[in-house]
Amino acid sequence: MSQTILKVNNLQAEIDGKEILKGINLEVKAGEIHAIMGPNGSGKSTLSSVLAGRDEYEVTGGEVDYLGMDLLDLDPEERAWEGLFLAFQYPVEIPGVSNINFLKTAMAERAKHKGLDPISAKDFLTMVKEKSALVELNDKLKNRSVNEGFSGGEKKRNEIFQMAMLEPKLSILDETDSGLDIDALRIVANGVNTLKSDDNATIVITHYQRLLDYIVPDFVHVLYNGRIIKTGDKSLALELEERGYDWLIKDFA
Amino acid sequence: MTLLKEKIFDIAIAQSPKEVVAAALKEIEERSFPERKTEDWRYAKLGKLLNKNYQSESFGVKDISSYLIADLKVDLVVLVNGKYDVELSNITHQEGVTILPILEASEDDSFKFHFNRLASRNEEIFTSINTAYNQGGVFVHIAKNTVVKNPVYIINITSGNGVLSNARNLVVAESSSQSKIIQGYYSTEGKENFTNSMTEVFVKQNAKLNIEKIQDFSMDDRHICTEEIYQEKDSTALMNTMILSGGFIRNGLNIHVDGTNCYSEMNGLFLGKDEQFIDNHTKIEHLKSNCVSSELYKGILKDKSVGVFNGKVIVHKDAQIIEAYQQNNNVILSDEARMNTKPELEIFADDVKCSHGTTTGQFDDEAIFYLQARGVSKTAAKEMLIGAFATEVLEKISLDQVRDFVTSKI
Repeated sequence: MSQTILKVNNLQAEIDGKEILKGINLEVKAGEIHAIMGPNGSGKSTLSSVLAGRDEYEVTGGEVDYLGMDLLDLDPEERAWEGLFLAFQYPVEIPGVSNINFLKTAMAERAKHKGLDPISAKDFLTMVKEKSALVELNDKLKNRSVNEGFSGGEKKRNEIFQMAMLEPKLSILDETDSGLDIDALRIVANGVNTLKSDDNATIVITHYQRLLDYIVPDFVHVLYNGRIIKTGDKSLALELEERGYDWLIKDFA
Repeated sequence: MTLLKEKIFDIAIAQSPKEVVAAALKEIEERSFPERKTEDWRYAKLGKLLNKNYQSESFGVKDISSYLIADLKVDLVVLVNGKYDVELSNITHQEGVTILPILEASEDDSFKFHFNRLASRNEEIFTSINTAYNQGGVFVHIAKNTVVKNPVYIINITSGNGVLSNARNLVVAESSSQSKIIQGYYSTEGKENFTNSMTEVFVKQNAKLNIEKIQDFSMDDRHICTEEIYQEKDSTALMNTMILSGGFIRNGLNIHVDGTNCYSEMNGLFLGKDEQFIDNHTKIEHLKSNCVSSELYKGILKDKSVGVFNGKVIVHKDAQIIEAYQQNNNVILSDEARMNTKPELEIFADDVKCSHGTTTGQFDDEAIFYLQARGVSKTAAKEMLIGAFATEVLEKISLDQVRDFVTSKI
């Protein structure tokens, strides 16, 4: 039986006193791709933020077990060191911080945390070359400041490039498809599919079914009003595309 | 005793021409110390500086190794409490470069012609005090057409407890010369010293001069540092100011652009911590046409530190086709740190392109979270962002070795 990577139990969270997540249950095993869909304001981004450790959100109840650890007890960087990766919906531009150097620092810190030797400069560069080819990110972009002056598509490809470099155990893609043209979408999806293995898992948060044509999920969850109201297989996504959310939501309104 | 507030001076008067000293002494009588309502000094609390009983006894300086810049060949001038120290200095006698203690320069024609010409126009009482009571300092003369290979590094050390030091320097870069000067202002372990420095700088026709200034004092020390720079036509003057440490630092940088087709650049980086006070006043006066000036100051303030930036650009009536750019960006890292920033443009000509901008804010939490989410610890993420913010100014430093020296002290 596959290893359980993530087990979310009755997770509740609020921001500025407003309750957003009202009891999420979710289990993700190695080798699986889960899609979380839902209308705007249903709590999708809150869920990814809470899992990645963004501190504006206050967890008011429930537990999250990640590889046997209490995830909520870890700082964001500790989560990253343990193999959790969040691909941002809006990747941040950080002028003056080199795209490559910061990744090197991140990987060195992770190695230190794990008691390992840092990756050699040569191996690092080989890896950069290989992984950037995966998402067709050219040298110019790699060496620039983090996301500075990148187009929307380049930013998302940069997210997947970093994901490839960090080789996460659990990747959360937060609306990675938003604002992407079809070519960029294909490149991003191809990257994600190439990185998928029996040992890791992916959660794809999306508003639209379109991305799921390229990244085929094993499970589709519908999030509404802070709860998962329905879980199905990939056909559920197609049904949502056709019928919208209303037929599901009306029972929960 | 020496008590500034009462204008009591128990120190020897400067060995400059009698009429210069007499005029300065008279100015001291006539001028008053800035008060809180003096606009140019409104954020500077001078009470402790003025009420201190100063003396002049040095600890004696033997070891200057911590001030030396690795891998950089220089003509080394060491001034201890403003006095030229022959033992510690090391002059290589480069062709076209004359370096003299001011006390030995009185017969030099160039010195006689230039000394106090610029300082006498400065109306601050601290300048008069410097002129009347300076202990010497250094005169650097770069001959016409000389391209100086090794920069001149002037180390100004203040040593002692409660010492008042009036360092006074004069730099003359003759026409079509190219040179670099590094000015380091430091203090040894003493307390409550007051270093009141004045440097006059002439950049003659078609000359190019870079000045890299580093200020790294102990946190109990106070420092008022003034530069008067005069540019002739076709000249380039670049000045970078790196403020690393010191309890009270006030810089007054004044550039008079008195020739056409000049380029002037002023950049500054200041890092405030604890209860530091760092005040940068700059003034550029465009007196002639077809010139460009550019200014970038950046500040990072922690703890309860206070920063001031006041950048004045004056474009006189006959100075047409001037481009003047000014930018001041600051980052505040604590709730109690404060930044006061004020750009001032006074434009009397009509064909002028001027821009100024200022931002003061905190680090972007989203950027910190982004870095954390990739596995960079919060502390390292903040350091990375501080480094990124400072880089833009550090890159302006014209010598890699000086940049490394400054970076190693940040």
